[in-house]
Amino acid sequence: MHFFEFTEEQTMLRKAVREFVEAEIAPKAAEWDEKDECPVGLFKAMGGIGINGVFVPEQYGGGGMGFVGRSICLEEISRHSAGLGIAMMTHHLGIYPILQYGSEEQKKKYLPDFCSGAKIAGLAVTEPGGGSDFSGQKTLAEKKDGGWVLNGRKCFITNSHIADVTILTAKTGEDEKGRNKLSTFLIEKEAKGFEPGRKEHKLGLRGSVTGDLVLSDVKLAEDALVGKEGAGAKIGMEGIGEVGRAGMSAICVGILRGCVEEAVKFANERIVYGKPIAKLQAIQLEVAKIRTAYEAARLLTYYAASLKDNGKPCSNEVATAKYYSTEAAVEASKRTMDLMGGYGVINEYPVGRFLRDALASIPSGGTSHIMQVIMAANTLSSFQA
Amino acid sequence: MTYNIAVCVKPVPDPKHYDKVTIDPVRKTITRTGIPTLLNPVDKNALEAALQLREQYTGTVTAISMAPPDAGEILREALAIGADEAYLLSDRAFGGADTLATSYTLFHGLKKLEAAKGYSFDFVLCGCESADGATAQVSSQLGEWLGYPHLWNVFSLQEVDPKTFSIKTKLENGYMEWRAQAPLVLGVSRELNKPRFTSVMGIMKAKNKPLQVWGREDLPEAKDEFLGLKGSPTQPGEIFTPDMKRSGKVLAGTPEEIAGRIVTILRANGVVVGG
Amino acid sequence: MSKKIWVHAEVADGKIANVTYELLSKAYDLAGEMGDGTEVEATLVGSGLEEEAGHLARFGAKKIYLADDSKLKLYSPVIYAPILADLAAANSPEIYIFGATATGSALGPAVAARLKTGMAAHCVNLLLDERKQLKALVPSFGGKVIGEILCPSKLPQMASVKPGIFVKKDPVPMPKRVEKVDLGVYEKLFDAKGLEAVGVVRRPPEGLPLNEAQVVLCGGYGIGSQENWNTLEKLAHLLGGATASTRPAVDEGWTGEHNMVGTSGQSIRPKVYIGFGISGATHHICGMNESGVVISVNRDEESPIFQVSDFLVQGDVNVILPALLEAVKSEME
Repeated sequence: MHFFEFTEEQTMLRKAVREFVEAEIAPKAAEWDEKDECPVGLFKAMGGIGINGVFVPEQYGGGGMGFVGRSICLEEISRHSAGLGIAMMTHHLGIYPILQYGSEEQKKKYLPDFCSGAKIAGLAVTEPGGGSDFSGQKTLAEKKDGGWVLNGRKCFITNSHIADVTILTAKTGEDEKGRNKLSTFLIEKEAKGFEPGRKEHKLGLRGSVTGDLVLSDVKLAEDALVGKEGAGAKIGMEGIGEVGRAGMSAICVGILRGCVEEAVKFANERIVYGKPIAKLQAIQLEVAKIRTAYEAARLLTYYAASLKDNGKPCSNEVATAKYYSTEAAVEASKRTMDLMGGYGVINEYPVGRFLRDALASIPSGGTSHIMQVIMAANTLSSFQA
Repeated sequence: MTYNIAVCVKPVPDPKHYDKVTIDPVRKTITRTGIPTLLNPVDKNALEAALQLREQYTGTVTAISMAPPDAGEILREALAIGADEAYLLSDRAFGGADTLATSYTLFHGLKKLEAAKGYSFDFVLCGCESADGATAQVSSQLGEWLGYPHLWNVFSLQEVDPKTFSIKTKLENGYMEWRAQAPLVLGVSRELNKPRFTSVMGIMKAKNKPLQVWGREDLPEAKDEFLGLKGSPTQPGEIFTPDMKRSGKVLAGTPEEIAGRIVTILRANGVVVGG
Repeated sequence: MSKKIWVHAEVADGKIANVTYELLSKAYDLAGEMGDGTEVEATLVGSGLEEEAGHLARFGAKKIYLADDSKLKLYSPVIYAPILADLAAANSPEIYIFGATATGSALGPAVAARLKTGMAAHCVNLLLDERKQLKALVPSFGGKVIGEILCPSKLPQMASVKPGIFVKKDPVPMPKRVEKVDLGVYEKLFDAKGLEAVGVVRRPPEGLPLNEAQVVLCGGYGIGSQENWNTLEKLAHLLGGATASTRPAVDEGWTGEHNMVGTSGQSIRPKVYIGFGISGATHHICGMNESGVVISVNRDEESPIFQVSDFLVQGDVNVILPALLEAVKSEME
């Protein structure tokens, strides 16, 4: 049996995306990072080749290549720009609730534009009170005049200032035990009272926009609801747990491949004592470690994505992949830096950016601690003798 | 206007890795281990030109290659980029071909296709050269076998009227302008257009597009004397890596000192500096 | 009957192109090597070329086959290829050499296809083997590998060679012997529809032609900016030389493709070549390695260009280039 052999189409997809990335992304990635500037205009071009809606079925204008296909796209983009990687990954995260829980009208209205690049999507869950305390959300949606009125504030929202459409969770009531009932809403950026707030200055994943979204008496029609009333927690958790974290994991696989390639390039080119440092065993051991991290992250990430494609539960596997890949990317980029000596900290080499991007990937979609708690819960219940 | 267009494509080792090409000192063959194969870059310009013609008028775009069996991959890529059908001419009998035998084989592939389809090709487009051999002779020779006018190094193709095209070919220090009508064989240059990227949608569509492999027996009209090694009047002899090493004396010092030394070297070699 | 080596004379704007003289000079040497009274002859196609034909004689062509007609003024494969192929078939030259120019690279293989013979393209040298057969040296993989190409069983053995590869000899006064080609049989091709040559447009020459410059300043990707490129131009002007480029510099838009050096550009052999910010990809080196003295300026100590340089400066183009300009300027004063 073959474990995780990519299909011919998946291999072609990787090649196609790589060609695009090498032509349109790689040459500018350092600049986006330095200026902390999101190349919004590139979304159309990426939509044109099918990255934006790669996992969306063809009937809605997508590529129909599932979540393995999506991971391939994110890995390839993030090989050169993890910042743009997270902007795209969040776009996917905004698409997912509509695709999975939206009405047929919502799908027909929004998905083709999301796929083509005409519109950018985002997902807003986290609040100042915390992202992992999911049900403690304070943003309130009240029923009024046959519609909804929303008030509150979301923070640490990727694509906050660039999304044309944001999927947002808000409290719509309490259950009999007094726990918050959450619902999911679709908000267009033109909605009155809906404004992006402050923009964060991040250590890494620069080139993606992260910031606040402020809602003051935002009036939405009844059909702005995505899925059923009260289904917000499920929709939000599923999106973040199976799509968001999987995306972060794929982004870090891209960073890890960058580490392997940069380490190899440097080790072969750098001559010390008359020979390339690649001939030194101490360097070889480092190269082997970086390679191992990349391979392991890759297997975990694509395995989790293939579970998702096959409709199987995967939140534990995604958490494992995300935990391992993000931490491994931090370690491997540090190793690559060490291998490069003084050159490692010079910004003309991308490896410093890799390290910053890897560090910033850890809290995105839930920290390593949260991932471990999820994995522990799964392990403690499923490994009982 | 409807145009039926054939695009000739070739798999080549990725030019980015030509520094890895070595010569096996014993077997005297070229070693290219570890170098990925890709669709010859300028062939993508030919394909792009074909797709633009098909979009502007109507018609068909057929990709054809004479290559080893594993070239199916680059033909699949041509289908994903947008070709309608693809044909791979592959047989031991075609192996060892120089440009004359290659163009002859392609000629017979095209003839067979025309017979099967009931139309004749209006345009046969090729990249003007391959990245590896860069012989750049196939388009002209294919034109001769087909008996069609052929132009090489085409960097502009514009409609005059739906039947007539204004074509420009590169010249040293300028260009030549032509008026032409189909049928034509064109060897196109990288300046002609910017090839589109392969799209996800294209990859999915390519799955269901026809890709056929034809061998020697599929080209019964072709004569053995013009095929493969036997049909190749040129034969390769020895191969070697040119030794171009020079002594490499370091010029060091302040920028001004270095500049002064360069001026001295210029003078010593007969270049007049400052009258 | 003595053996013949043919050179096809390339015409540009009514004049014989320089490459033709380079090829005739080489053909003359090859004819000597072949012995048995082997003669060099030339083919010439165009309009109003009777006088130009005399130059071919002075560079060693014992006989010139001239196809001259006002309708042949501009190159067209439809007419030129059959004329030349028929001439070769009737006169059986051993070797037939074309310039690997834009026109020669299209016309040569068409003639070869008509004759069902072999042609070696873009040769960097032409030799004879022990059986006095042509051994053409041809670069592949961007010049990384040189291969011998033989054409053992068909005649003529054809080859194309880029301008700048062979050295032009001094002309010797010599009467011309012209054989006019009877064009009657080609009448119907003159009026054939389908392909019509409309005209030739030349860019006004920018500075000294590259192949005539004694000193060539070549800029690569490492030149870094349009500003530096302009400095390079200024310096070339002061030195009475020319600028040359590599593909990346052209892609950056600092200069046009007209002065690109390498396998996909021109071959040059100036007395002094100075490379600025050139990494030294094989396909570039192939076009400049015949230069007299090679000086390279590059920041990266591991640049391959340093391997093929007589003098190397490991330094910043941004610093060295202006310093050199100042040094040359001060010499002018």
